[in-house]
Amino acid sequence: MNDAAIAVAGPVVKPARAAARRDAAIAQALPRILAPVAIGVITLLLWEITVHVRGIEPYILPSPLLIAQTLIANWGSLQVSLWVTLQTTALALIVAVVLGVSLAILFTQSKWVELSFFPYAVILQVTPIVAIAPLIIIWVNDTRIALLICAWIVAFFPILSNTTLGLNSADHNLLNLFQLYGASRFQMLRFLRLPAAMPYFLGGLRISGGLALIGAVVAEFVAGTGGQASGLAYRILESGYQLQIPKMFAALFLISLSGVCIFLVLTLVSHLVLRRWHESAIRREN
Amino acid sequence: MPDASSPAFSVSVRLGRVGWRDQTLWDSLDFTLAGGQWTCLLGASGIGKTTLLRLIAGIDDSADAAVACSDGAPLRGRVAWMAQHDLLLPWLSVLDNALLGERLRGGDRRGRRGAARDLLARVGLGDKCDARPASLSGGERQRAALVRTLMEDRPVILMDEPFSALDAITRLAIQDLAARLLAGRTVLLVTHDPREALRLGHRIHVMSGKPARLEPAQLPHGVPPRALDDPALPAMEAEIVRRLADSAGAGR
Repeated sequence: MNDAAIAVAGPVVKPARAAARRDAAIAQALPRILAPVAIGVITLLLWEITVHVRGIEPYILPSPLLIAQTLIANWGSLQVSLWVTLQTTALALIVAVVLGVSLAILFTQSKWVELSFFPYAVILQVTPIVAIAPLIIIWVNDTRIALLICAWIVAFFPILSNTTLGLNSADHNLLNLFQLYGASRFQMLRFLRLPAAMPYFLGGLRISGGLALIGAVVAEFVAGTGGQASGLAYRILESGYQLQIPKMFAALFLISLSGVCIFLVLTLVSHLVLRRWHESAIRREN
Repeated sequence: MPDASSPAFSVSVRLGRVGWRDQTLWDSLDFTLAGGQWTCLLGASGIGKTTLLRLIAGIDDSADAAVACSDGAPLRGRVAWMAQHDLLLPWLSVLDNALLGERLRGGDRRGRRGAARDLLARVGLGDKCDARPASLSGGERQRAALVRTLMEDRPVILMDEPFSALDAITRLAIQDLAARLLAGRTVLLVTHDPREALRLGHRIHVMSGKPARLEPAQLPHGVPPRALDDPALPAMEAEIVRRLADSAGAGR
């Protein structure tokens, strides 16, 4: 028996080689971080110089430094707004995940449920949120809940459609195997369909994270809620009315930054969940 | 491990017509799996070998399949399956894959872990228990699948070309390994590789023609796994290839 001959096929990673590989990975990752940072710095410099050289008024285009100063000076009110918007976004995303995944599971259990409900999910998705937000704000008394519903509508669909696709993508041969092993419907779901759907779900989640933020901001714009506990969109509206353009840019900057952070966090989550087994996260060997 | 002490039961299979669109794969097929032996079904690709296995396993009920065991008990729940693709779950470790059946039965996974580790070590995967399938080679994955099949400890094993995706050297090694570890069980191996059938089969049926018919079993001499340089094999292989080629030609 020549087991030994074929048993040595797999690579054996020695600690020294692992360290070398880690160094190589850092060397590879560094330019990927440095390049966009360099572009950003150059753009900001050009912006700053242009504003000063051409003498552009701050109410037309504030310089990056002025925006930064305004951000720090108004941090008290901006931070409250940031927190409100992020809360709406996070809650909408959580509700979208819970309802989206539950509905997707329901869809895969019964073809008729999917056929009956999926078109309405599509209608919900393709209707512009700006158009229905005023209605929702009129119908729902509590503005915060109205905002939440708007953000949820936008964030919901990618999770539903991706998870449904993922649950239906379990390898048919594996479904046969599970059937042969006498697995129950629940076991098929728990041990086969759900893990198989994970990459699809996480892909949808990354899209929905950004969409939830957009939904929340758009709804805030439409609602235009005032008062202490109102979001970043309201700060933008308010600054616009008062011609405090630097503050408007500061709020805009916070929205973009939040979007980028949400994307990075969800990408990290996706990588951590999938890194051991899914093609998208495994380093190619050749 | 193979329970060679209890006499293995034989399985007689009688399948009704199977068609796909307007093509008939076969009108009827009758054959018997001799207890404790390897029966090989040889046929060209597309002749319906996988459908045949699914019918026997009872996971396809689109056609009549009368499967009777000589001990009178139903076959259901006494079959394990090994497919061309390893069918390992990519998100589970090799060890957890080997224990999949135990997990689905809600059995004592902790207690069976030792047995699974032993078996993995016997097939040369002792140091890969915690690895994910993605980090294994094709041969290693198929060996892990073999261990999972063995962990099921079922008396009847259905194999759907499990070695066909492997390179020649690895295939020989795994064929030997499977023959050794599955000794005493009733195995049905469907394959398109005459040499594989001749190495491993106690009984070999050639499936040919359109619609397909089964020729009477051939019983090569000697005990499987037969050596590659067995002088009787080349002549038999040539004969089988000729008949497979004839039937392919007749079907055109």
